[in-house]
Amino acid sequence: MKKLMTNKNLTKAFSIFIIFYLIVIVFPFIWVLVTSFKPESEIWGKSALKLISENPTLDHYRALAQNNVLRGIKNSFIVASLTTIYVTVISIFAGYALARLQFRGKNFVLTLVLAVSMFPQMIVVGPIYNMFNELGWTNSYNIIFPYSMISLPVAIYILVTHFKKIPFTLEESAKIDGATPMQTLLKIVTPLALPGIFTSAIITFIGVWNEYVLSLTLNTDLSFHTAPVAISFLRGQFEIFWGQVTAAAVVVTIPTLIIVLLFQRQIISGLTSGALKE
Amino acid sequence: MKLNNKIGYLLILPAMIFVMIFSLWPVFQSATYSLFDYQLNDQTKSRLSISNQYNLELFQETNRYLNFYLDSEKETATLEQSKEKIDALLQKINAYETDILSNYGEEKVVKISEDEKNDLEAFAQTVIQSINEIYALNDEGFAIEEDVLAVTGGYDSSMIKPNFIGLNNYKQALKDTRVRTALLNTLVFTFFSISLELVFGILLALIMNKAMFGRGLIRSLSLIPWAIPTVVSALIWLYLYNGSSGVVAMIFSKIGLISKPTDLLLTSTAAMGAVILADVWKTTPYMALLLLAGLQTIPNTVYEASAVDGAHKLQQFFRITLPMLKPSILVALLFRTLDAFRVFDLIYVLTGGGPGGKTETISIYAYKAMFAQTKFGYGSALTIIIALCVAIICYFYIKVLNVDISSRE
Repeated sequence: MKKLMTNKNLTKAFSIFIIFYLIVIVFPFIWVLVTSFKPESEIWGKSALKLISENPTLDHYRALAQNNVLRGIKNSFIVASLTTIYVTVISIFAGYALARLQFRGKNFVLTLVLAVSMFPQMIVVGPIYNMFNELGWTNSYNIIFPYSMISLPVAIYILVTHFKKIPFTLEESAKIDGATPMQTLLKIVTPLALPGIFTSAIITFIGVWNEYVLSLTLNTDLSFHTAPVAISFLRGQFEIFWGQVTAAAVVVTIPTLIIVLLFQRQIISGLTSGALKE
Repeated sequence: MKLNNKIGYLLILPAMIFVMIFSLWPVFQSATYSLFDYQLNDQTKSRLSISNQYNLELFQETNRYLNFYLDSEKETATLEQSKEKIDALLQKINAYETDILSNYGEEKVVKISEDEKNDLEAFAQTVIQSINEIYALNDEGFAIEEDVLAVTGGYDSSMIKPNFIGLNNYKQALKDTRVRTALLNTLVFTFFSISLELVFGILLALIMNKAMFGRGLIRSLSLIPWAIPTVVSALIWLYLYNGSSGVVAMIFSKIGLISKPTDLLLTSTAAMGAVILADVWKTTPYMALLLLAGLQTIPNTVYEASAVDGAHKLQQFFRITLPMLKPSILVALLFRTLDAFRVFDLIYVLTGGGPGGKTETISIYAYKAMFAQTKFGYGSALTIIIALCVAIICYFYIKVLNVDISSRE
């Protein structure tokens, strides 16, 4: 009887903690959402702490069209999609080779990939900046190529983990039937690994969507700003229009929100396959 | 097992090409830059050189101006002797230029040997000497002596001395108090963020593991702070923290954490705390999800057996959960430590390193050195120092704490 009581109390304490946690997580978003509908006059001073606006307005959202944020979202979408496509394709090849084939130097390659994922990104920014200037690649979508540094190692690791989970027997019977390793990869392993491939694609997409330093440095022209850069430029030197900032934050968060709600399972599987021993 | 060398290499080739060009090559470049006094905005230091170089473009320009100015002096000159001397000098200059250009062709900046360097310097000397002789004539018609002399400075600037300075950038970095402050700030930020994230992360993971309602919802909501761009979360917190309309700043001053709302981002301790809090908000849910996955691999039977033996919850946590979760905790900690040590976006947007450099981390200083001060050599040395610190952190985790990140059989 006593044990039952403590368990009940514990459950209660847990529930309270969970609710508190959810409030802490969600509160900034709610507050930002509220502010984005307030006229600039209500953001400052006395009504700053009011939850409901007296004169709700869509002005800040209309302003987004002029202040480059929408174009930033478009650019981010293009850059993230292109990077995801090519990184996923070459990671499938590399991941399969590393998971299934035996070749000399394999451990070296695995270590190299792991090491690259640990490099501080700042170390490549200067040389890449010079490279882009020499090639005339600044202010273009060529920024997708250096994005390989932040996304390839992660994608390869996720795919290696997933390829290893696929039972060997299918590949062996394919081999007995005379399939080459290439055919086995394309016709048998890839379809089976689709969930893993999808996971790695989503993690790559989110990683690139959020990238800031390279984008800030290489694409200085307004028309090539990605969403994070475009929104960071709303933070002016002397004055910040919080209405516009919060509206932009809401709009930039929406695609992420959709992705997270739709693909929660895949994202968690991708995150943990990088950090869990199977 | 049979070796599949050929097909294996073929499959990893595309990935390796990208790693080589966009990861390894830049790292070697940075290491190289760090040995030079390499500054993009300084004409004589804007390229790496171990040997002497000569700027032919500037050389030609200098000659062009000398021709132009001396011609105008000749027109106004009154003495026949000065006209002759000017003619002779110009002829000499133009002959020498033709001679030099025929040797080097189209290039703007050329490498030169020690002999060529002496030759060019000797030439500049004789030109200056001749000019001095001309002005020694004290011709009344001369009007722009100062301009002519100023132009001859172009010969000196054309000579580019090697900017290889060995380890001097590193020596300078060790003496630079701003580096020391930045490293200290980075360590403080890393230590407190990671500690708080770990404690809250474990707690959350335990609760999520037990949670009976809305698991899916809790997980989805947890993922959002992790998934939104760091820049966006930095701006959100900047809004919540700002002194005149930020709700968090107001709450903190009401409960006495800070004396007035504007203090939050303008005093050093409060600003560091604010930055850490924003990071904890963004990454604790991520940490919790990693640890939750680890928790779920612990079989329930272990708990049941210990309950039969009379262990209570606290004992179970310290004797079973923590030891069995240790591998997951260490891997999560390693990744988070590296991320926190390399922090850039969050602080760059939230405080820009302020107030007065009190939240400036080493990554931010390196970036500012390269792109605000255009000291590429020095900035690169700082990025190499970051890489060394990262290597030390990895070594510590892998060797001392025995984190196993490579084998996943």
